Amino acid sequence: MTEVKTYSNLMKEIQSGRFVLTGELEPERTANIEPTVNEAIELRKYCIAANITDNPKSTVCLSSLAGSYLTQEKSGLEIVYQLTCRDQNRMGLGAAILGAASLGLKNILALTGDHNACGDMPASKPVFDYDSTHLIQLVREMADKRSIEGLPLDEDCPNIEIHVGGAANPNASPMEPEIMHIQRKAMAGVEFLQTQVVYDIEIAEPFLKEIREKTGVPVLLGIFPMSGYGVAKGFDELVPGVSVPKDLLAKFKAVKKGGLGKKEKKEAYRKLNVDFYVPMLKELKKKNLVAGCHIMAVHYPKIFPPLMEALDLQPRE
Amino acid sequence: MIVTENKPWEEVKLALDNYMANKIVIVSCGVCAAKVGTGGTEGAKKMEAQLIDNGFSVLTTVVVDEPCDDRMVKQAFRKIKDEVEKSDVIISLACGLGTQAMNTVLREKFPKKVALTALNTVFMGETERFGVYKEACRACGECILNETGGVCPITHCAKSMLNGPCGGSVDGKCEVGDYTRSCGWVEIYDALQSIDRLDLFLKVREPRNWSESGHQRELNLR
Repeated sequence: MTEVKTYSNLMKEIQSGRFVLTGELEPERTANIEPTVNEAIELRKYCIAANITDNPKSTVCLSSLAGSYLTQEKSGLEIVYQLTCRDQNRMGLGAAILGAASLGLKNILALTGDHNACGDMPASKPVFDYDSTHLIQLVREMADKRSIEGLPLDEDCPNIEIHVGGAANPNASPMEPEIMHIQRKAMAGVEFLQTQVVYDIEIAEPFLKEIREKTGVPVLLGIFPMSGYGVAKGFDELVPGVSVPKDLLAKFKAVKKGGLGKKEKKEAYRKLNVDFYVPMLKELKKKNLVAGCHIMAVHYPKIFPPLMEALDLQPRE
Repeated sequence: MIVTENKPWEEVKLALDNYMANKIVIVSCGVCAAKVGTGGTEGAKKMEAQLIDNGFSVLTTVVVDEPCDDRMVKQAFRKIKDEVEKSDVIISLACGLGTQAMNTVLREKFPKKVALTALNTVFMGETERFGVYKEACRACGECILNETGGVCPITHCAKSMLNGPCGGSVDGKCEVGDYTRSCGWVEIYDALQSIDRLDLFLKVREPRNWSESGHQRELNLR
C-alpha cells in the first residue's frame, strides 16, 4: 500500500469522515472577480471548498485558473479548480497544472467539458486532445511521479500537491457504460467524485451502491437548490437529461402564485428545498453512500444555513 | 467513400469572376463524386448547363475514372490538351484529393492553368442508401476498431474520446446535434456487449499520438 498524502482541506475533510459540503462558483464573462469573491466569502461559512467552473456550458468566461487563484487568495475559501479538455491540448493542460500548483491551488476537478457546439462559440475548434480519464492520469503522474507524460519536472520544482476529482452522472441512461467509465477513472487514480444534479433517491441510491462496490471512491452528491420558480422551471427546461420532479415544480409554482410577500415567498422556497433534499441526503448519509454533498446553489448561498441545520451540521465560522 | 457536396453557385461564380474566366473545361470524378451525384456524368451535365446559362463557354467536359490518381489525370489532360490550353480555368467536380491532383498535373504540364473546385469535401463515410451518408473514419492512422466492437470513437464520439462516454449523453443520444445522433460510446458498449467482450470497454486507452498525423503524411511502399 502506498502512502496516502493529503494536501487539501477538502481531502482532509473527506478522510475525516465528516459530512462534506462543497459549493459552486461561476465567474462570468467579465474581468471583475469581485462578485465571485464576495460569494466565496459567504460560502466560507458553510463549505470546506467551492468549485470554480471552466467556461461552463461551453460559454466563454473569466479563466478558471485566474478565477480559482484570485478567489482562493481573496476569500480564504479553498477552491476546486475545474479544468476541461475542451480548450487546451496536453501541453496546455500540463502547463495549467504547473500554474495551479505555483498558485497554491490544491484540488482539480478533471472534466472532458461540454462540446463547443453546445455553447456560445460553436465555430471554435474543439481540442479534446485528452479526455477526463487522461487528465486524471496526468494530475496523478505530476503529483506522484514528478513528470508530465514521462518528461521529468525540473529539480527545483516543488512537489505538485494537488488532488484530482472527477465527475459522475447518476442520470446516465443507459447506466452501465457510465459505471464502467467511472471504473476507468478510478483506475486512472481519481480521488473524489462530484456528481451531476440528482433529484431522485431511486436514481441516486443504486448508482451510488455500484460506485461504492466497484470503486470505493468517495462521492459528493450534486444537488441544485432552487431560489424560485423561475430558476426551477429554467433548469427543468434547459438542462438535458435532468428533470425537476413534477410535484416539486408544482409546489414552487404554488409559492410563486400564492400571493405571499417577498420575504414569506423566500422563506417558503427555502422550506421547499430543505423538505425535498434533506430526507434524501440523510438517507444516503445513513447508508454511508455519500461522503458529502456538492451544492450547486450558484448565487443562492442563503440556502446553506437551513440545509445545514436540518442536516445537523454546524456552520464553519 | 469520399463524400462531397456542391458549393453554392454564387461561390463558384465568384471564384470564376476572380480569375476573370470565361472559357471553361469541366473535369468530373468518375468514382466517389459520381456515386454521390456531385460528379460523374450527371454532375458534369448540371454544371455545364449552369455555366452556359450564366454566359460562360464550356470548351469540353471529361469524366476521369480516378481523378485522385496523378497518372489518370495526366492521361486525361493529354487527350484534351488543346482545350486545356485554350481554357481560362478548369472546373473540378471532384473531392479535394482530385482537385489537388489536377493542380499537381497542371503545375507540371500547364503551369499557367489552375483547377477550381465546385465542390466541398465533407467527409469519408459509409453509404447507408443513395443520398444518405455517415462519416465513419478520420484516417487517424491508429485504428482501434479491434478494441471497440468495430465502432470508431474518433468519428462516432463528438469529442473523439478514447475513454467515454462523457456526461453529455441523454438516453444514448449525443449532446451535439440536439440529442438526435447516437452516443458513440453507447454504440461501442452495445457492440462489445453483443460479442461478450465488455472487458475491452473497461480498458483505459492512452491518449493519441499526434506526432505522425498532426502534419501532412506521406507513404512510400516502394
